[in-house]
Amino acid sequence: MSDNEQIRFDAVVVGAGMAGSAAAIVLGKAGLNVALIERGQKAGSKNYFGGALYTHALKEVLPDFMDRKPPFERPVTEAGFWFLSRDGGLMKATIEGGKLAETELPDAYITMRAAFDAWWAKQAQEAGAFLIPKTTVVDFIRDEQGQVIGVQTDRPQGDIYAPVVIICEGVNNLLTQKLGLARRDVEPAHAALAFKQVISLPMETINARFGLPDDAHGLAVSVLGDVSLGLPGMGFVYTNKKSISVGLGVMLDTLAEYRLRPYDVLQRYLQHPAIAPLVEGGQLLEYGAHLIPEGGWRDMPQLYAGGVMVAGDAAAMVNALHWEGTNMAMIAGKLAAETAIEAHKRGDFSAASLARYRDKLQDRFILQDLKQYRNFARFLETHPQFMDVYPNFLNSALADFFSAYGKPKKVLFREIFGELTHRRPLLKAVGDMISMGKAVMGW
Amino acid sequence: MFHALVAVKQVPDTTNIRIDPETGNLVREGVPAIFNPYDAHALAAAVEWKRKLGGKVTVVSMGPPSFIVTLREAIEMGADEAYLVSDRKFAGADTLATSYVLAETIRRLNEQDPVDMIFFGKQAIDGDTAQVGPGVATRLDLPILTYAVKIRDIDLEARKAIVERKTERWVEVVELPLPVMLTCDKEIAEIPFAPLPDLIRSLKYDPEVWTMAGPVEFDRGQVGVRGSPTIVYKMGTPELPEPGEKINTREVGVEAAVREALAKAESAGVLSAVLGGAK
Ligand SMILES: Cc1cc2nc3c(=O)[nH]c(=O)nc-3n(C[C@H](O)[C@H](O)[C@H](O)COP(=O)(O)OP(=O)(O)OC[C@H]3O[C@@H](n4cnc5c(N)ncnc54)[C@H](O)[C@@H]3O)c2cc1C
Repeated sequence: MSDNEQIRFDAVVVGAGMAGSAAAIVLGKAGLNVALIERGQKAGSKNYFGGALYTHALKEVLPDFMDRKPPFERPVTEAGFWFLSRDGGLMKATIEGGKLAETELPDAYITMRAAFDAWWAKQAQEAGAFLIPKTTVVDFIRDEQGQVIGVQTDRPQGDIYAPVVIICEGVNNLLTQKLGLARRDVEPAHAALAFKQVISLPMETINARFGLPDDAHGLAVSVLGDVSLGLPGMGFVYTNKKSISVGLGVMLDTLAEYRLRPYDVLQRYLQHPAIAPLVEGGQLLEYGAHLIPEGGWRDMPQLYAGGVMVAGDAAAMVNALHWEGTNMAMIAGKLAAETAIEAHKRGDFSAASLARYRDKLQDRFILQDLKQYRNFARFLETHPQFMDVYPNFLNSALADFFSAYGKPKKVLFREIFGELTHRRPLLKAVGDMISMGKAVMGW
Repeated sequence: MFHALVAVKQVPDTTNIRIDPETGNLVREGVPAIFNPYDAHALAAAVEWKRKLGGKVTVVSMGPPSFIVTLREAIEMGADEAYLVSDRKFAGADTLATSYVLAETIRRLNEQDPVDMIFFGKQAIDGDTAQVGPGVATRLDLPILTYAVKIRDIDLEARKAIVERKTERWVEVVELPLPVMLTCDKEIAEIPFAPLPDLIRSLKYDPEVWTMAGPVEFDRGQVGVRGSPTIVYKMGTPELPEPGEKINTREVGVEAAVREALAKAESAGVLSAVLGGAK
């Protein structure tokens, strides 16, 4: 390649994460010459999540994904919520079997991003995409009308021309901001800092501690209650094959306001009497932190402009209550790729042409769910009792319910009810339920 | 035109390495493989001088197919061509057998296109023997300068180069005839951030693979385990030296601490006279 020859592709995808590799798979399969640019040493080397991946999205992007041996840890065969109380109690509301077991393909698989993303990007390469690692996109190349016609990377002679660019840069969406599509950095009140530890334990120990028959069974739970010093936050526990992932997310502004150090909050969580025995004797394999954009609908940037589209965390496509982010990212990546393919057929990469991307998102659960949950982030901000009062109440109520104190049940129920109204006046509790409905159902 | 040839090796990242306390062997499992750092700096120097003088850089390596990653990295860093000499029969080679295979390979490459300067790293960080470069030079009957730290000049017309060499006490400035071999320390050149076209070329590049079958005719008795007389008797981790005594300045004050330290040094025979300064 001579020095003054331009580097040209039919499409550029920025970021080989969940959204980016999905987009590159779809573009590659359509026969387009696509560059997938990743700043990490390898795809996945910079990425972190809980977590579990949803098979519906993987299947939609790559129907034969199971034959390609994805590096999964365990399928999720038990899922739900755990409530920690301040007196050390643990109430479990999980489901196993039933609907979770009915389908041929498990609903979700637990995995680690470093391994998974490398595999995911390899699928894109096999579909024909050209993966360029160790390279960061720093800006765009635009024509006189301001339409994006390529990207600038941090390397010498680093310009790459393409008529369409799909930005899948994740939560720290500097490029999206650079284009003016997002107005500012994610607000601390709308972002959770999630930190986790991966703790290695023998497989048999994990199976015994979590009541799993073998490593073809796995547990994925969200942990509420006495997780983050009574502040809004949500914990999680995932069983890998020979390790467990435990961590929690706390809103960034909360951490700042209370001057909490993430490590301390995590340590305290790990020392909770209900969590400590699960991690006991394990060896710390890794420790990491990552932001989750929780602003959802309200923080969504403009999703497209001339020559460019935004997908995944960069566009705040996360449903925080359900830990859904990867599936939205993958499907959005695919929809952006399909839009790019259509634009190639029309030979029109203008904003009007790429507007189809938004319609496609609107037709699917992505924009619908995000719109429905649009008040959720604010709801938790204004109703911290959901993270504290109610989990504690539920724990103690259940403990009472299942204890034989030798008093009439009528009296006991009156006491439990009295306990609730003591913790939270009745009218307020009813109000809480209504606001929760509003936040979750989008009333 | 300047033709530089650089020999490179892939090594386990020893900053991450553990030694099995039972067997005394390196635990290679799960340890990332990297470009031997000294080789990378040597290559950077070769590329720098190629850019100055015009010409090309050829890279060679002996090793398993996984070394292709390292050769691609060499292309990313600006090498023009890369050759991997790879065969199951080469496995288990010590420095003698390795230097044989590399020397014969370089001999062949030199016939194709005469080489002006051969670059090696000063040593590989996994074995730390520093024997392969000198071994190759001896077999090829080439002059060699070890611990090269700076190339001052290469004069292709006059067929000579001026290179600095680091010793424990000073730097030697040596005039060398071409062709010559250098084994390089890290100071020889900084590793630059590769331009995008070089990276793209490297990602598509497949090095040429030479085997026992050719084009070089190797003597079966001199390669791999058969050609390796070295027997490793024992490997282990050296005992950590005991940390020295600490004098806390906050407890005794700086002046007393210095005086005590000097007295100790003197009584240990490390220091015979105190030349001014601390009072
Ligand atoms: C602790 C935690 C737990 C989670 N648990 C779950 C879960 O259980 N289930 C779930 O579905 N979701 C979960 N999520 C959310 C999910 O991880 C994200 O929503 C998802 O990864 C978003 O995918 P993405 O492709 O948009 O971004 P990412 O996966 O973050 O990928 C972005 C990629 O772009 C690269 N990049 C960024 N900028 C540049 C640039 N300028 N040039 C080149 N490359 C660049 C990055 O290196 C990275 O590879 C969790 C998140 C966290 C933090």
